[in-house]
Amino acid sequence: MLFLVAAGLQLVFGVQKILNLACGSFYALGAYAGVSAVTWALGHGLPAPLFVLPLLAGGLALAALGPPLERLLSRIYDRDESFQLLLTFALVLMLEDVIRFVWGSAPVQLRGAYLAYGQVTLAGSTIPVYNLVVMAAGALIALGMGLLLTRTRFGRIVRATAENREMAAALGVDMRRVYRRVFTLGVALGTVGGALVIPATAAVNEMAIEVIVEAFAVVVIGGLGSMRGAAVGALIVGVLKAGAIATWPEVEMLAIYVVVIGVLVLRPAGLFAGATT
Amino acid sequence: MRTTRRQFLQLTAGATAAAAVGLDIAPAFAQSTPVKLGVLAAKAGVLAPVGESGLRGVQWAAERINAAGGILGRKIELVVEEESSPKDTVERFRKLALQDKVDAVTGAISTGVGLALGPVAEEMKTIWLAWDATTQKGVEETIPKPKYSFRSTDNECEAVMASLLTARHWKGKFKTVAGINPDYSYGRDNWAAFLAIMKKYGIELQVVSELWPKLGATDFTAHVAALAQAKPDLIFSCHWAGDTPIFMKQAHGAGLTKSTKFVLTTGGGVHESLKKEFTPEGAILGYNTFYFEYAKASALGKEFVRWHQEKFKEWPNYESDHGYFTLVAYKAAVERAAKAAGGKWPTQDAVIQALEGVEAESLSGARRYREDHIMEATFFQGTTTHKNKHDFVTLDPVETMTTKQIQKPSGVGLYDWINGWKV
Amino acid sequence: MIARAAGIAAVIALLSAPLVATPYQLTLLLPAFAYGIALLGLNLLFGTTGLLSFGHALFVALGAYTAAWLTTRAGVLSLEVIVLAAAGVAAAVAVPVGLLCVRYVKIYFGMLTLAFGMLFYSFLYKFYALTGGDEGIRVLRPTVLGLPFAGLDKVEFLTGPFYYYVLALLAVAALVMRRIVRSPFGLSLRAIRENADKAAFVGVRVRRYRFYAFVIAAVFGGVGGALLAVPTGLADPLLAYWTHSGNLVFMLLLGGFHHFLGPIVGAIVFIFLQDTVMSLTSYWRFVFGGLLAVVVIFFPGGLLGLLPSERTA
Repeated sequence: MLFLVAAGLQLVFGVQKILNLACGSFYALGAYAGVSAVTWALGHGLPAPLFVLPLLAGGLALAALGPPLERLLSRIYDRDESFQLLLTFALVLMLEDVIRFVWGSAPVQLRGAYLAYGQVTLAGSTIPVYNLVVMAAGALIALGMGLLLTRTRFGRIVRATAENREMAAALGVDMRRVYRRVFTLGVALGTVGGALVIPATAAVNEMAIEVIVEAFAVVVIGGLGSMRGAAVGALIVGVLKAGAIATWPEVEMLAIYVVVIGVLVLRPAGLFAGATT
Repeated sequence: MRTTRRQFLQLTAGATAAAAVGLDIAPAFAQSTPVKLGVLAAKAGVLAPVGESGLRGVQWAAERINAAGGILGRKIELVVEEESSPKDTVERFRKLALQDKVDAVTGAISTGVGLALGPVAEEMKTIWLAWDATTQKGVEETIPKPKYSFRSTDNECEAVMASLLTARHWKGKFKTVAGINPDYSYGRDNWAAFLAIMKKYGIELQVVSELWPKLGATDFTAHVAALAQAKPDLIFSCHWAGDTPIFMKQAHGAGLTKSTKFVLTTGGGVHESLKKEFTPEGAILGYNTFYFEYAKASALGKEFVRWHQEKFKEWPNYESDHGYFTLVAYKAAVERAAKAAGGKWPTQDAVIQALEGVEAESLSGARRYREDHIMEATFFQGTTTHKNKHDFVTLDPVETMTTKQIQKPSGVGLYDWINGWKV
Repeated sequence: MIARAAGIAAVIALLSAPLVATPYQLTLLLPAFAYGIALLGLNLLFGTTGLLSFGHALFVALGAYTAAWLTTRAGVLSLEVIVLAAAGVAAAVAVPVGLLCVRYVKIYFGMLTLAFGMLFYSFLYKFYALTGGDEGIRVLRPTVLGLPFAGLDKVEFLTGPFYYYVLALLAVAALVMRRIVRSPFGLSLRAIRENADKAAFVGVRVRRYRFYAFVIAAVFGGVGGALLAVPTGLADPLLAYWTHSGNLVFMLLLGGFHHFLGPIVGAIVFIFLQDTVMSLTSYWRFVFGGLLAVVVIFFPGGLLGLLPSERTA
């Protein structure tokens, strides 16, 4: 799921060159909205196995935040990157309190959904089927993104803009529209990611601030601006964490940062260098 | 009071400083001015749910005390500030003491904040009644003989009681043990206490896994996988925050709840989130110092539970009781000191003296402050059951132990005390 | 002219504050001064050299823990030694970190500094035998100029000798920074900010100068951190968290990073604003987020940017 957040981050950065610190906040919003949507739907008689639908709907609905927020950010497109970073930091602060205001400070969890699809035993360990659903969904979305970017006209425009903004504008591409769509897509990736994850865990206030650090790690390791990098990075981070926990639990917290710094030192552009997808 | 004070600045500066430290001067004589009490309640982050709990307990206490006429006729006025990082909370405490000029401060849950506030309470000469925030270090190292700080029960009490219950019910029934505890002082201290007590009871065990997830983690997949691999007979965890139900949910998803024994020392703090669907029966679960469905609860306790459920649609947890007790203890101490002073509002020193050894009725029974400023209370733990009308687990049977049994007495180190037990 | 008069008025106000302000307001000014020192350093990086660090809190935390370690574990109570040690430790850590970070610019620099800050946070949290873990290490009351002022209680100490000491250090820091900014080195930094390639063309050793700026900034951060920890009485890991770095940048922006005194103005305004807003609402993060957004969009020059004068940073 880290992949989705990281993918959102990558996309927005690749095209608009904005590093969105608030991507974690979108993840959190998606999670909370997902819980609300499913709880409402189940309360109104939706059969349990269909819970994924309102879950996704809740996540997608929040992508509607994309356009207005993008308009806010657009005011400072021509300024130094640092300002953009700071504006997204301001968003992080504000959204944290918005979440607290709407959903309260206690952890919010989804009832009954996690094991709605039962469990399965693979290679000696028991896994809830839902985990597999999430992995499949992630892979599907990744594939979808890939197809979108390589096969559709929109995708071509996005990649062109990422490569060379001025050239694309000169060729008549409507920058404002592209930016708005890209940003909204980035937001959607985050919110859907949050929504998908929530049945397995619980939504807590500080998830936005904490996921950001992990998302950064993924993006750095994979390389800024690369979709494939986001996928590989997420995989690496996940494996690293699991590996640390299995072998030397004490360094769980540190391992990620050390690798991040290592990558930044050795291969500054990440494992998949380049600003395109 | 103040004896000699070397003036570094001019006399006017000295006067300003004097006004600031005027807490030592006897409070207002007029019986009608309110008693200002500062409250430090966590509002955001992993502590927010318990911070909110504590605040509710304090507010309920204040409402009832005021409805009954206040403390010696003076109404309580609460000044609420937020507990956040140690640095910011110290600043809030200073504001309460210097600017709002409160008579006492109640609150604080985080151990880091507790460690910082202890010395500050002494410096500001302000009475501080903590809800939690107690660690070995806090009690032993920083202020060995505090005057103004009154601490809560030791953090290890939960682990001690859970360990005793484990020894009693499951001795001989498990060989391999895994520990999964939040990676900070509370987690480490409780796990260490458990191991020490198992050793004391001669229970041979083999630790097959020791995991330290970050406090407030939301993803335990890797941890659960490691536990599943290690196949422990018993899993010990002192998780107390929102991460507890997440861990249980994911542990259940991986099939760990089928045959493993669980000891959850403090999970009762988030009891409503421990849903039946993933929390097994037969686990040892601790509710710290308050259990909402205690059959032998006092009328007061039952009334509070009723009020809380009606108002918030939630069942209360232990932090409310900590909050409640600090207020009624303060009231009892003031009244006790006033009686000795012939009915007049007592000086702060007199209140402090009266607080030592004061007894008051909390929501869970009688509690008191020991002479060394540590709280004495009753702890509730038991075995989980699904036979109730809620969607989460409750206890049956419920066992209680007082701090006289599970909290080390003053002047003794925790492990020396454990080693000295007669088993 | 107005600016100068205002400046002199401010200095007089600060000097006489212990005579007129309440002790609480004085204790608020202390972290403001400490932050001012730390921010002077950050502004050398950002305002003068154009590098935005999202990990400055790393050095602030280093300074705080140095003070904690010295007073609690090494029994050293002299504030002078503490300040010097904090500067030294910050410089020592800044050398390897800086060498790494200045290879990159803009976003990468920001991300790398954020990563280092969080690495230190994790280190502080995990290695509890050394650092006290989540609880931190206490900072005992130091002696000022060798004098313990034992007759004064902590509040009197803080609002008296310590206040003037910190204010003096702030003045010294400002003067030193002014020298640096006005020196040929400072000019080179500004050239680098404007156009690094051009500067390199003209012979400026871009990377090396950025490195120097980084280390200097770190030293100021460390000193600020040590002074920050004394009123709190504790050094804890949260001082190194990335949101603390974010707040530092916020303060800088609020005061105005084009201006030499922007950092100090920003620190003071932020601290007092935070104190007021925190007491008014528990949703102060929203208010502050909104404020930051407004500043970034409408007043990027900060408060001092509202004044009609040229850049002095």
